[in-house]
Amino acid sequence: MFRFALTRIGMALPTLLIVAVSVFVLIRLIPGDPAQLMLGDLATPASLADLRARLGLDQSLPAQFGIWIGNVLTGDFGQSISSQQAVLPLILQRFAVSAQIVLVAVLLASLVAVPAGVIAAWKQDSALDLGLVATATLLLSVPTFWLGLLLLLFFGLKLGWLPVVGYVSIAENPLAGVLYLVMPILTLFLHEIGVILRMARASTLEVLRLDYITHARAKGLSEGAVLWRHAFKNAFGPTWTLIGLVLGNLLGGIAVVETVFTIPGLGRLLVDAIFARDYPVIQGCMLFIAFTYVLVNLVIDLCYPVFDPRVTAQ
Amino acid sequence: MIRIATSALVLALLGATAQAQTVNVALNADIRSTNPGVNRDDNTDAVVLHMVEGLVGYRENGAVAPLLAEKIDLSSDGLTYTFHLRKGVKFHNGAEMSSADVLWSWKRYMDAKTDWRCRPEFDGRIGLKVTEVAAPDPATFVMKLEKPSALFLDTMARTDCAMVAVLHRDSIKPDGSWDKPIGTGPFQLADWRRGEYVLLKRFDGYVSPPGDRRDGYVGSKRALVSEVKFLAIADGATVKAGLVSGALDVADIPDEEVAEMKKAGTVQVLAAPSATKHALLLQTRDPLLSDVRMRQAIASALDIDEIVGAASNGLGQVNNSAVYITSPFHDAVQKKRYAHDPARTKKLLAEAGYKGETIKLIANKRSTVPSYPVAIMAQAMLQAAGIKSEIEILEWATQLDRYSKGNFQMMSFSYSARLDPAQSYNQFTGPKDKMPSKVWDSREADALIEKATLISDEAERRAIFDQLHTMMLADAPLVFLYNQVDTAAVAKRIQGFAPWVASKPRLWEVSVAK
Repeated sequence: MFRFALTRIGMALPTLLIVAVSVFVLIRLIPGDPAQLMLGDLATPASLADLRARLGLDQSLPAQFGIWIGNVLTGDFGQSISSQQAVLPLILQRFAVSAQIVLVAVLLASLVAVPAGVIAAWKQDSALDLGLVATATLLLSVPTFWLGLLLLLFFGLKLGWLPVVGYVSIAENPLAGVLYLVMPILTLFLHEIGVILRMARASTLEVLRLDYITHARAKGLSEGAVLWRHAFKNAFGPTWTLIGLVLGNLLGGIAVVETVFTIPGLGRLLVDAIFARDYPVIQGCMLFIAFTYVLVNLVIDLCYPVFDPRVTAQ
Repeated sequence: MIRIATSALVLALLGATAQAQTVNVALNADIRSTNPGVNRDDNTDAVVLHMVEGLVGYRENGAVAPLLAEKIDLSSDGLTYTFHLRKGVKFHNGAEMSSADVLWSWKRYMDAKTDWRCRPEFDGRIGLKVTEVAAPDPATFVMKLEKPSALFLDTMARTDCAMVAVLHRDSIKPDGSWDKPIGTGPFQLADWRRGEYVLLKRFDGYVSPPGDRRDGYVGSKRALVSEVKFLAIADGATVKAGLVSGALDVADIPDEEVAEMKKAGTVQVLAAPSATKHALLLQTRDPLLSDVRMRQAIASALDIDEIVGAASNGLGQVNNSAVYITSPFHDAVQKKRYAHDPARTKKLLAEAGYKGETIKLIANKRSTVPSYPVAIMAQAMLQAAGIKSEIEILEWATQLDRYSKGNFQMMSFSYSARLDPAQSYNQFTGPKDKMPSKVWDSREADALIEKATLISDEAERRAIFDQLHTMMLADAPLVFLYNQVDTAAVAKRIQGFAPWVASKPRLWEVSVAK
């Protein structure tokens, strides 16, 4: 298993290099100059030249890339142009905030959506199935920013139960921290239920139509045993893969939710950096997100044998 | 019952009792640093200028007045400024301010390693040059200029230069890097959570400048609340929710939200014109727009009253001048303006030989400026007058890039606040060969602006600005529309808050109702 993991990480290196090169080139192809943005309409040629030289933007692109990638290989992701903070600690700090929301939301969504999807498949075409599918479709269709605003209006303004602006770290004040996280988690939770439920239902339906399920029923096994012992284990593979993809996506991209709920997470850091043309932060974030994606999917792959003994990590 | 219990729990958890004396202010983004005038933007200046002060500052009407100085003497040749410092002023660490601190701060700013944003403004690269500084005694600081300048004190007071704030040397770590601002302001830094908030606490040893009321950055500056928290909130809907729920006390709101916020009843809405200028830029080097008749035709085609009324939701007032509307220099001549005259447009188009070419009008959709609504209305008016135009929406960084390269035909653009008229004209006047971002390329105007920077006599300066305005209206390199009206929603429990011409919140002389 260890060799398998190492091989997979090794295979990811070319991917990360492609990400690094393409992000570096693409962000510089977009018009906009970080020095100009920092000085705004107050820029003079002298102040612009000073700032560009200080930021190293007066060097050629290959030279800038060489310096950056050389530093990245030593673990130095550079310094933010706008905040002048070291990029890697900044990313890790923001990632920790995003990750606590995403992990809890996806875990809760999985715990609700997977059994619900299996039950919907088991009761196919019943009122329960129709109700679950309709709810899942509705939740899937509602944009997260709108859902977030609705929750904010309801729980924050109408009921006054939850704080509407600001953020308190759980490490600093666990109870208050939880209160600030309830709405962002709930937003993602509701949205992801729709995604996961539909996949769990579809893959369970596929398995329920196979001969060995008929055989199990013919043996006189109870419906519960057929469903959970025989159908669920085989049907869970595709849902598990989807959960991995969802996790990978969300860990780097909940900027909208973070903006609505003023959460200082990784998504907001990236979006702000793009608007400010903060090249080191954009490059660092994209590389980190790509690495996270690879890592999450590796973990998902390594877990397959737990659910399906036919799959080995060799 | 559940609601009461939960609310009580929330309040208890968030320490609401302790927050009673905390004023929560929304910023649309986090500050860049706490280093005055170095790594900055408007939000940074607004926060930092609660903690630090300079020798001079802006008054409510934009004029410059002593702040850490008690009085300023100018030598008869106009070259030597002698600043007599106020006595008993203390830094946040308890040390008393003296001319040695002023000298140390100045030298630090002028050191290239500091990266002070305004160093080129004082080292001769832009015009003004300080040749000598001295601290002859603890209460006196002297600055000598290479040549007289009417803009010297105004440049010293500029907010983007952080008022050339006087800092204590403990603001710097032993290795020479920036630590935190130890200034003389009414508030001091308590905590900065990047991406979240900046918390300032009252400086109990603060010695306010003389005056019985707040006057811009001078006058009475007592900190009446124990804490001010500046929260970074990017989303406008969240700001609204914060104001309505009471989680926020002060926030800038877009003009279009004014009616709704007033109706909500939980806040008071305050407005004041600022010196920010909204304008339509015309590229005088464009083959079509190089003909002044085309530019005049465009200016006549615009019903500016209607544009301003709609873009500012009835709050703005037409001002075709580069001098802001509440400036002491905004006289009868500055009130002269373009007239909406479709018949004149038709005549000028015919004279210019306009053949129906399409003009591209660049705009952006930032919520803080009316670039997009202005462009939409201008396009409709141009179409109605027979001038074809297309709007190109760009993201701000891209638009700024096009602006700095002069790569546009028309642009809906906003200039940041400049309080002295000469500084304001400097923003857009100059040789395009050297600075493509300049909109008005006129040697005659350059000479007048240069003259206005050298002389201090108010009447003479006024005459120059009046002449510049008349010339600008005739040349029409751009059409100024109006000065931004800053609208702030303020919780009813807050007393004494007022927006002003510099477009920056001030939390001194602000109290919380019991």
